[in-house]
Amino acid sequence: MAKAWRWFHQLGSPKYLFQKTGQWLPWIWGVTLILLAVGLYYSLWASPLEARQGQGHTVRIMYVHVPAAALSMVGYIAMAIAAIVGLVWKMKMAFAVVRSIAPAGAAMTFLALFTGSVWGKPTWGTWWEWDARMTSELLLLFLYLGYIALHSSFSERSKADKASAILAIVGVINIPIIYFSVKWWNTLHQGYSVTQKGALAPEFQVPLFTMLAGMYLLFAALVIMRLRAEIILRNQKSRWVMEWATADTKKVTHD
Amino acid sequence: MPSLSSMSQSQDIHFDGLYAHELTVSRSEHVLLEDAELHLAPATITYLYGDNGTGKTSLMRCLTGLLQPDHGTVYWNEKPINHPESGYFQDLIFLAHSLSMKNELTIAENLTFYAQLRCGGSYNNKELQADISQVLTDLGIDGLEGRMFAELSAGQQHKVALARLMLEPAKIWLLDEPFVNLDQKTRRWLAAKTLEFKAQGGVVLFTSHHHIDELPVDQKVGVEHE
Amino acid sequence: MISTLLKRELKVARRNWIGLAIPLLFFIIVVSLFPFAVSPEALMLQKLAPGVIWVAALLSMLLSLEQFYRSDYQDGSLEQLLLMSSPTSVAISKIFAHWLLTGLPLVILSPLLGLLMQINYGFEHINHTWVLMLSLMLGTPTLCLLGAVGMSLTLAANRNGLLVSILIIPLYVPVLIFGASTVTASLESLRYNGELAILGAFLMIAIVFAPFASGRALKISVG
Repeated sequence: MAKAWRWFHQLGSPKYLFQKTGQWLPWIWGVTLILLAVGLYYSLWASPLEARQGQGHTVRIMYVHVPAAALSMVGYIAMAIAAIVGLVWKMKMAFAVVRSIAPAGAAMTFLALFTGSVWGKPTWGTWWEWDARMTSELLLLFLYLGYIALHSSFSERSKADKASAILAIVGVINIPIIYFSVKWWNTLHQGYSVTQKGALAPEFQVPLFTMLAGMYLLFAALVIMRLRAEIILRNQKSRWVMEWATADTKKVTHD
Repeated sequence: MPSLSSMSQSQDIHFDGLYAHELTVSRSEHVLLEDAELHLAPATITYLYGDNGTGKTSLMRCLTGLLQPDHGTVYWNEKPINHPESGYFQDLIFLAHSLSMKNELTIAENLTFYAQLRCGGSYNNKELQADISQVLTDLGIDGLEGRMFAELSAGQQHKVALARLMLEPAKIWLLDEPFVNLDQKTRRWLAAKTLEFKAQGGVVLFTSHHHIDELPVDQKVGVEHE
Repeated sequence: MISTLLKRELKVARRNWIGLAIPLLFFIIVVSLFPFAVSPEALMLQKLAPGVIWVAALLSMLLSLEQFYRSDYQDGSLEQLLLMSSPTSVAISKIFAHWLLTGLPLVILSPLLGLLMQINYGFEHINHTWVLMLSLMLGTPTLCLLGAVGMSLTLAANRNGLLVSILIIPLYVPVLIFGASTVTASLESLRYNGELAILGAFLMIAIVFAPFASGRALKISVG
């Protein structure tokens, strides 16, 4: 327990976090690329077509759509957790984490919406359907963009961090409320959904889970890269950043 | 020249009055103060000086608790100011640059509001109105109680803000640039009232760009940058 | 303490009533655009009425948010309030005063808009106006509470006005859904107790969380 706490505190040090993530990053990228390569091969070529609902090739969109949609939710929840850590334990690095998740999360939400729309055209015959999930995703995208807009509206970073952290927490309390409201509203008006009942057949499971793992790691890699940039940005004046920057340019001029 | 970090380094806080311990304050990633110690004892007047942008106002706002320091604690009578038992916010009057008065309210309504907010219902309204008239007379703006705050001149508005010091019981005054834009007569009035407050055991900290001849100070504190 | 704050709010508002009347005027004008844009036909308007009136109410609440904490923040009285009372009680009294001054007038004006939108057309005995008022009565306080959070977050931001709308409109969606569908259910002669109950539940959740969140945000904005 004490060890876990110490590690937690070390993570709060920008320098330690920057060095550690620098060591992890190549590995994460390596595994990400392998998983995505295998996953995409399976999902785009080697998996069977969907016959039961007559979706044919369009089912392949699912392998991108489902991980993106899952990550859009997970990303927002992770933001809120980091925001709570930042506000309660006054850990500044947590705010950098919140800020780093936001663009990746927004991108995943957009990807989920985009693939959902492309999927919707052959399935529903329209690019946009006010389906419960799609509508919730749209509102989630607004929440992400609201966070980013709020964070970039302050001249002082510490205020931006704290105010938008509160917004992230308020947002996460609202996500289930929004989701159930929209679902209730949707059943009232349409009673029409793509939700598939029953378990997924095993031949779909392998590519889906590979893609899920790959996309999660991709998300982590993107967040970490943004986080490293945030760390440098926020600690411009500290010595180790100066040393790191000058050491880097020396190496470049040497080559 | 006394600087902020020249005080005692002891860990235990045995100081009456206001004590800021290991205070680190920054604005926009710019460190204004680092590990500063500051003691404002009862019955003393402290003059806080420094050039523009050195962080006088930030330091003062830190002492009010409005601005969270990056590090360090402010104690009032040996208790952290946020501690419920410190009673700090009951004892404190902070007059900022902004006058904190509503344009839509009359002078009397503005002053009554703050007095009631501080004292609850314990203030007898008739007495309070009499006190307000008295202070306004002392300040040379008598008869303006019923005028809207917005209708007053800048100098008169400033005087109204100062009137709060006479109407609300307190043990510590933090005054940000109280002497700026004041005429000779009001400066003398404020200096005299500050000395009176000190004589009753009050703690005073004020900022100013230049020395105030009318007001002898017990402690001078400078904020400066290397 | 809260009553002192409340009295002051109401006094300031009384002298600044025009600022409060503008969002209400906006509420009426926006609704009166729909017959021009869609059709003056009574049945059509009746079908649109719940949505149109609710969206107009929501937009009017958004407009009036500007007067929430802004002037107190600018003239410095907000920090004095925070020094002398707890952030949550500042938020509670501001929110309550704001609802009395912006939400309640909307509720009172809504029968007029129901009239314009033919909400009772063809119904002799059932009073849909009453349902409309009830739904607004339960829904507008929630809008106020959420708006207070958004407003206190954006006080110290460089750009405001539209920013706060972007932040809180997604949060308004559940209230809008259940508010409008309460009235729709009534128009379709269905039971609407469930919808009203959910609006009430939203209000309870908002009452628990929003003043606290708003208070925290005020501290950050002033700090």
